[in-house]
Amino acid sequence: MAVTLGKRKRTTGVVDRTDQNESDNEDARALFQRAFEAKFKPLESSAKPVKAAVKSHVGDEDDVDDDDGGNGNDESDWTGLSEDADEIVIEIVNHDVVRSEDEEARRREMKAFMSPKPPTSHHISPSVSKRPKVDSADDAKEGDNLKQDLALQRLLKESHLLDSSSLQGPTAAPEGKGRLKALELRLQDLGAKKPATEQVRMPLAHRKGIAAKATGREAARRKEAVENGIILEKAKLAARPEKHRERGVIAPGVGKFRGGTLKLSSRDVKSIEGPQQRMGGKGRKR
Amino acid sequence: MTTAPAPTLLKFIGSKYLVQRLVLATLTGRPIRISQIRASSHSSPGLAPHEVSFLRLLDAITNGAQIEFSYTGTTVLYKPGLITGSAAGQGAQGGVIRHEVPADCARGVSYFLLPLCLLAPFSKAQINVLFTGPGVITSSTETGDVSADTVRTAILPLFRSFGIENNIELRILRRSNTGKDGKGGGGEVQLVFGHQVRLPKTLHLMNAGRVKRIRGVAYSTGVAGANNARLIEAARGVLNEFAPDTYIFSDVSSAPFVPAPERNNPAAKRKTGLGFGLSLVAEANTGVLYSADIASPPSGGEPPEDLGKKCAFQLLEAVEQGGCVSNIAAPTMLTLMAMGSEDVGRITVGKDVLGSEPVMQLARDLRTFGMSGWGLREGDGDGEVVVSIVGKGVGNVGRKIA
Repeated sequence: MAVTLGKRKRTTGVVDRTDQNESDNEDARALFQRAFEAKFKPLESSAKPVKAAVKSHVGDEDDVDDDDGGNGNDESDWTGLSEDADEIVIEIVNHDVVRSEDEEARRREMKAFMSPKPPTSHHISPSVSKRPKVDSADDAKEGDNLKQDLALQRLLKESHLLDSSSLQGPTAAPEGKGRLKALELRLQDLGAKKPATEQVRMPLAHRKGIAAKATGREAARRKEAVENGIILEKAKLAARPEKHRERGVIAPGVGKFRGGTLKLSSRDVKSIEGPQQRMGGKGRKR
Repeated sequence: MTTAPAPTLLKFIGSKYLVQRLVLATLTGRPIRISQIRASSHSSPGLAPHEVSFLRLLDAITNGAQIEFSYTGTTVLYKPGLITGSAAGQGAQGGVIRHEVPADCARGVSYFLLPLCLLAPFSKAQINVLFTGPGVITSSTETGDVSADTVRTAILPLFRSFGIENNIELRILRRSNTGKDGKGGGGEVQLVFGHQVRLPKTLHLMNAGRVKRIRGVAYSTGVAGANNARLIEAARGVLNEFAPDTYIFSDVSSAPFVPAPERNNPAAKRKTGLGFGLSLVAEANTGVLYSADIASPPSGGEPPEDLGKKCAFQLLEAVEQGGCVSNIAAPTMLTLMAMGSEDVGRITVGKDVLGSEPVMQLARDLRTFGMSGWGLREGDGDGEVVVSIVGKGVGNVGRKIA
């Protein structure tokens, strides 16, 4: 039984030669037809070949269902669909496009209404990005202007990084180390807190060395400036770490609490009192 | 520092409007005593389970409140504290207060949600309460509570007109209808109210506009989803004529599984809160909302078609009553207006709404708590009254101190 089943399966898998021949034929004919129609006018009967294909397919299946596969001829007692069926024109109306749009809106509304938030009164329309139309010539000019503006800005900001070698190229842009420095500057302009090229992990000795070198360089620069009578910018003092005020859990936030007494310095008293208000009258009378 | 003299005790009688009085007491900071609570009842005198649960909730979201019951529970003394909300260290775990509702609670969860929403804008920290336990009914009930959906879609949007709109969420985590003999549910609802204000904005709502669209939620828990379809069909059959932009969403969920310990099986569980219901909201072009609610009775026997139609008629009735505020939302709106800044706010209210017992009683209670009286004049529309309310600037006591 299993063997016959296998055989039957195989027969369904086999492609009918005649069918393929026919389909090849059809393809060729369709090609010709298209070429003809392109040159002259559309032909009347274009549905005929398809019908034939359907008929032949039905015939094949009938063949497969036949239990005695011995004869294997295409002729059987059932002759496929009757000719009357051909006259019925099947009209297919597709609502798919409209439906999907409607469904989309409905789903969105359902999401808005059934969400835990109270529904908003105004209907949220689907986000349609409206872009004002600008004629392309104007647009191109604007873009060009912007580009030039940016180039000028960069030149002004990074001109100190330029040297003779970088001016030889087609565009005056810093190269090599200078390029990295320029990148760094741009990043800082955009709000970067730390330099991107800063090495995060390094041996302590190296770090100390770098810091020492930097401070030494700065000191040397200042010393040289003093000797030559050049006035430099004021040295920035390193921020002192804020002293941690020791305070008990329920101790007051002001003054010193020692030995059960709260001592307020005059500064504390002033801070509590706030700015002194002038009492009535105009100044002290003499 | 000397403390201000304690305000005089206000005395009330009866179990009616208990929640409203407790809320007003908390907002104004005045102590109250309510006596003769169901004193004449022989079978169940004193406070009902839901009332006790509400007092517990008040205790959880305030700091320094004093609640004293009499021996029989027929008298309550309530000295309000500060509304602290779900601040850490005040019984909130991870910023969420878990409120367990007992199984014999016959009121819907909106019984707790509405007063909580009234208190929340004046809280010190945000309010984040998870209602859980075997007594949470998210659907509307026969005792007159609206469903949690209506609270979310018809009540919470109203706060926007008072300038309270950010970070407000009502999550219905598990749905439940009323359980057997109208008690208990097993749902789960979380209210996040994260917009606290010093004073709500003064409201001027004069034009009700015209209804432009109707939305709704049909829910069924533990029963076939076809009930939803039938509810929706029936409701739309009525409403489509009036508002073509009608859409009702459907939500099908399984019934909650609540523990029901037996003597020989302490770990036993049972399903509860089966049923279906419908919540409808009509929205006018001016943003005014009208709502209607219905749910299948716990005894059953009502086909969804009838209920859907009834709900639709209810909605039409609410629209017919007119005004800028429906019956359900009126107490919330009017109380918030009374709490506003010392300025005249105006709102158009339908005569039927204004003349209803809860609104009248609210006006009286507000008077008792020292709020200013309401000014009434005939509105432009037929059967409408313009109510002018001067705020008392009570607002957020916690903010004043901080």
